[in-house]
Amino acid sequence: MQERENILRILIETKEALKNNDSFKLKELSNQTIHTASMDQDSDNITVAVLVYALSKIIERKEYQSMKNWEEFYNSISSQIDLAINAIRKKDDKKLRELVESTRAKLEKYSGSLKFYIQDVFRKAQINKASKIYEHGISMEKTAKLLGITMFELASYAGQKPEIANAPLNQTLDVKSRIKTAMEMFK
Amino acid sequence: MKSQIQKSPSEKVIVFDSSSLINFAMNGMIQEFVELKKIFNGKFLITKEVKEEIIDRPMTIKRFELEALKLKQLLDEKVLEMPSSLNLDENKISQMTKEIMNTANNTFFGHKNAIHIIDLGEASCLVVSKLLDEKGIKNVISADERTIRILSEKPENTLAILQKKLHTPITSDRKNYEHFRGFKFIRSSELMYIAYKKGLIKLKNGNVLDALLYAVKFNGCSISDEEISEIKKLG
Repeated sequence: MQERENILRILIETKEALKNNDSFKLKELSNQTIHTASMDQDSDNITVAVLVYALSKIIERKEYQSMKNWEEFYNSISSQIDLAINAIRKKDDKKLRELVESTRAKLEKYSGSLKFYIQDVFRKAQINKASKIYEHGISMEKTAKLLGITMFELASYAGQKPEIANAPLNQTLDVKSRIKTAMEMFK
Repeated sequence: MKSQIQKSPSEKVIVFDSSSLINFAMNGMIQEFVELKKIFNGKFLITKEVKEEIIDRPMTIKRFELEALKLKQLLDEKVLEMPSSLNLDENKISQMTKEIMNTANNTFFGHKNAIHIIDLGEASCLVVSKLLDEKGIKNVISADERTIRILSEKPENTLAILQKKLHTPITSDRKNYEHFRGFKFIRSSELMYIAYKKGLIKLKNGNVLDALLYAVKFNGCSISDEEISEIKKLG
């Protein structure tokens, strides 16, 4: 695994942010992971980025915190993160991978009205993280494959992000020249 | 022998990347795409790597099955064709695709690690365009996603984007830039403009060009608001 120390730090801070119901901090941590993920394209970094972002979206919905099984839900995530932290400290990458995956699986199978919301949150988290990686300069196809989503999903999401399409560095040819190139093909 | 095909002097090709075709499909503009092909004196090509992304894979996902079916029909009806229709060797394309993709993915470095910026579909479009150039066939690549276009037209911008977004010094192997020079790119925005100018869009009332350009922008075409304004001024 690349950047083990980075993932360890992210998970420790995630646990703290979760305890404080700090969804803003969780989003920030997820974005930090994305810088590394864009560069190294390490699947563990990407999985952690998706998990942390999904957690931020879950705790953002305050109404869920008043549900009767919220405490059980919180304790379950918290203990999974503890186990993941221990796995990193023991340099047990396989165990870490299993734990991060099983945390997601546990969350997605959660009973009650949280279940469908959580499944949706994870899908959206994958698309959101993909658009961030695309924003970092990685191609649409490469990014979609890294995140396990389709280019159809990424295209429509990324298209709505002005920070991507309006970035001045995107413009590599003037408008008239490109139109001319296209028109000449149809002559 | 350089070329085995019988080429009409007016033969032209547009090589489509997944992103442009996805845009037409997501916007429900397949019929307009067919109309564009009718007025085009040449072929619309896709590679098998692009086919995998726009047809084979989404066909297995319920949410995108319909778009995939519509795109498959374009292939069945030969609106879209494979490079073999111009006697381009599929095996050679696959081999060259891996080579050019590896070159692209070993051009920019952060923390001494190569940053993988493109994948097979995008790389395959470059290869087909290059092979068409060798056969003297006029061609352009239609790609809505920005990375491959910027890498070819202004690789120093790729470096700048990576550097800015990754907040870390990025180095590049500038000798590799030459592998990506000389390709011509258009986007679905330019194709929509042509469809509009040639009267292929049946909508008459309202700000049609504006609507078309923003529709493609919102489905992933890398075009800025400023560029849209400029296109609209061209009328």
